[in-house]
Amino acid sequence: MTGTALEAAALGKKFGRRKAGWALHDCTLRIPAGRVCGLVGPNGAGKSTLLAHAAGLLAPTEGSIRVLGTTPAAARERIAYVAQDKPLYPQLTVAETLRLGRELNPGHWDAAVAGRVVDEGGLDRDAKIRSLSGGQRTRVALALALGKRPELLLLDEPMADLDPLARHQLMGTLLADSAEHGTTVVMSSHVVAELEGSCDHLLLLGEGRVRLAGPLDELLAAHTLVTGPSSGDLAPHTVVESRTTGRQVTALIRPRGPVGAGWQTDEPTLEELVLAHLRAPQAPALTLMDDGADGGETDGAEVQEAAV
Amino acid sequence: MTTAARATIAPPSHDGPRPRGLTWTVLRLHRPALLVWTAYVLLLAGWLLWLRFVTLEQASTKLSGCPLSESDCTDAEAMMAFGDGVGTTGTLIAYLTYGVAAWAGASLGRELERGTAQLAWTQSVTPTRWLATGLAVPAVALTLGTTVLFLLYRAVWAPKHDMYGYQWYNPEPMVALGPLTVAYALCGLAVGALVGLALKRALPALAVAFGFMVLFHVYLDRNTRWLWPTERLTGFAATTVPDSAEHIDLGVITESGVRADDVLLNCFGAESEAAFSACMANHDLTGLYRDVHPPSHFWPLHLMATGVVLAVTALAAVTAFWLLRRRTATR
Repeated sequence: MTGTALEAAALGKKFGRRKAGWALHDCTLRIPAGRVCGLVGPNGAGKSTLLAHAAGLLAPTEGSIRVLGTTPAAARERIAYVAQDKPLYPQLTVAETLRLGRELNPGHWDAAVAGRVVDEGGLDRDAKIRSLSGGQRTRVALALALGKRPELLLLDEPMADLDPLARHQLMGTLLADSAEHGTTVVMSSHVVAELEGSCDHLLLLGEGRVRLAGPLDELLAAHTLVTGPSSGDLAPHTVVESRTTGRQVTALIRPRGPVGAGWQTDEPTLEELVLAHLRAPQAPALTLMDDGADGGETDGAEVQEAAV
Repeated sequence: MTTAARATIAPPSHDGPRPRGLTWTVLRLHRPALLVWTAYVLLLAGWLLWLRFVTLEQASTKLSGCPLSESDCTDAEAMMAFGDGVGTTGTLIAYLTYGVAAWAGASLGRELERGTAQLAWTQSVTPTRWLATGLAVPAVALTLGTTVLFLLYRAVWAPKHDMYGYQWYNPEPMVALGPLTVAYALCGLAVGALVGLALKRALPALAVAFGFMVLFHVYLDRNTRWLWPTERLTGFAATTVPDSAEHIDLGVITESGVRADDVLLNCFGAESEAAFSACMANHDLTGLYRDVHPPSHFWPLHLMATGVVLAVTALAAVTAFWLLRRRTATR
């Protein structure tokens, strides 16, 4: 499946009348279809706001957002969304919650998938939602989302309430299902380790703007971790973050040409990449496009000035 | 053979007329509220029927079997019980809108507070349809229930209502005697929905919706009298108005033609029209006037009030939809 799953142009959302109330500001991004995209960023970065816009739950203050080639409202039947606090009706049983999914998604409800997700957790179908633990509730919420057979699955902190075993197992179900059906998944998390090994696309938000976006392997390849003497000069490379310990300096850079002699280089891990950008909010933004076959690259540092 | 063939072709028949989709959802989610409402209507209906066919009969039998004059012979105890019953049931009908508003505000506020509304909106249901069905289903239940209640109340009210001190223009009968009951119930629903949507919290929405309905109801009750022109009685007729007419204004006209409302009205005890005229002349008064609503004004006043309540209902409902559409992505 090719095309664009999610696209935002100068998207902005302001809550209340406060001057500092911008949850998203001038947010431009594009997530290709068929990807599993990790959405990371510090608390208050705008992750949940972005996902709620994509789900059609919020109207933008400015700019626009398009989902699956159309508006979020028009794509409603093709999107599934699981909110951060996994809202479900506490007075319903598990079976009634699945029935709700069937009743509210006429014509495209996959009872088998939803039932499987619930049964894998060993849930009693006659148990009331209010009697379930947080992790079990997450499972039911995911069952409701997957039963809808979405083309785009939006998950806000999906695994936060799960123990490691359940997390591993649910993530497996999720990824297998998305691979089988070509579902695009966008999931937010502030646990970077959760995304490692499951995502192939990364979107880093900070202060309501895109800081880093692109295919994960290309983003990692575009950065180098260098270690060298603190007197060393890192020009002309873009320095994302550097830390000096004693006479040594460790820096994450976006190399422009070969790194000079005297520097020890390493490819950063996802965690190092994300942490460096979180620690250095003034670092220029970088967006790597993967349109078509040529994998055209745009260094956001030159094109768009980063927020300071 | 033929039956077997037909059986395979026929679609599963258990899908018949039972509610589906969003209607099923609303009915299931609000099942407790629906049960409470049904119980409320049934209990009140039973009470009204009891009043009409047991309590009133008791009072009337004693009355007709009495050899003395009617006034001596009323079964005061039974009549009082009947009057109390009419008063209490009237209260329970006239003020039920407060409860409706509180429930609607709390239930919508809670949906938004918990995020379950958003859960529904991210199924294949637009927020607009969600609100429309969420209002329509309880509106049907409320309309049916309140219609039964006001019709039964009228049946209880009709005989001998002048014997137990309640008049049609009292706050409770004014509402409970007609479709104003229905309008108020729907108004409570629409106002509750709007407040719940606006505040997005259960408890504040409950309080504000309840408070608004109390204020609105009291305000309209005090001002219903101005919704239809009063009838002016002058002269002797103004001194002998029956209780069944709602008194609005009373005053005298002096020689100079000025109406003086505060002049002590000494001529009220006049036994006849001649005595009244003589008394008025003695006090230099040329006339007396009184503005009233006769019982025939019940329907004009009641229907005007119903119109006002329905207008507020419509306004609240339209605002609720507008707010919802503005807040969510609808296009």
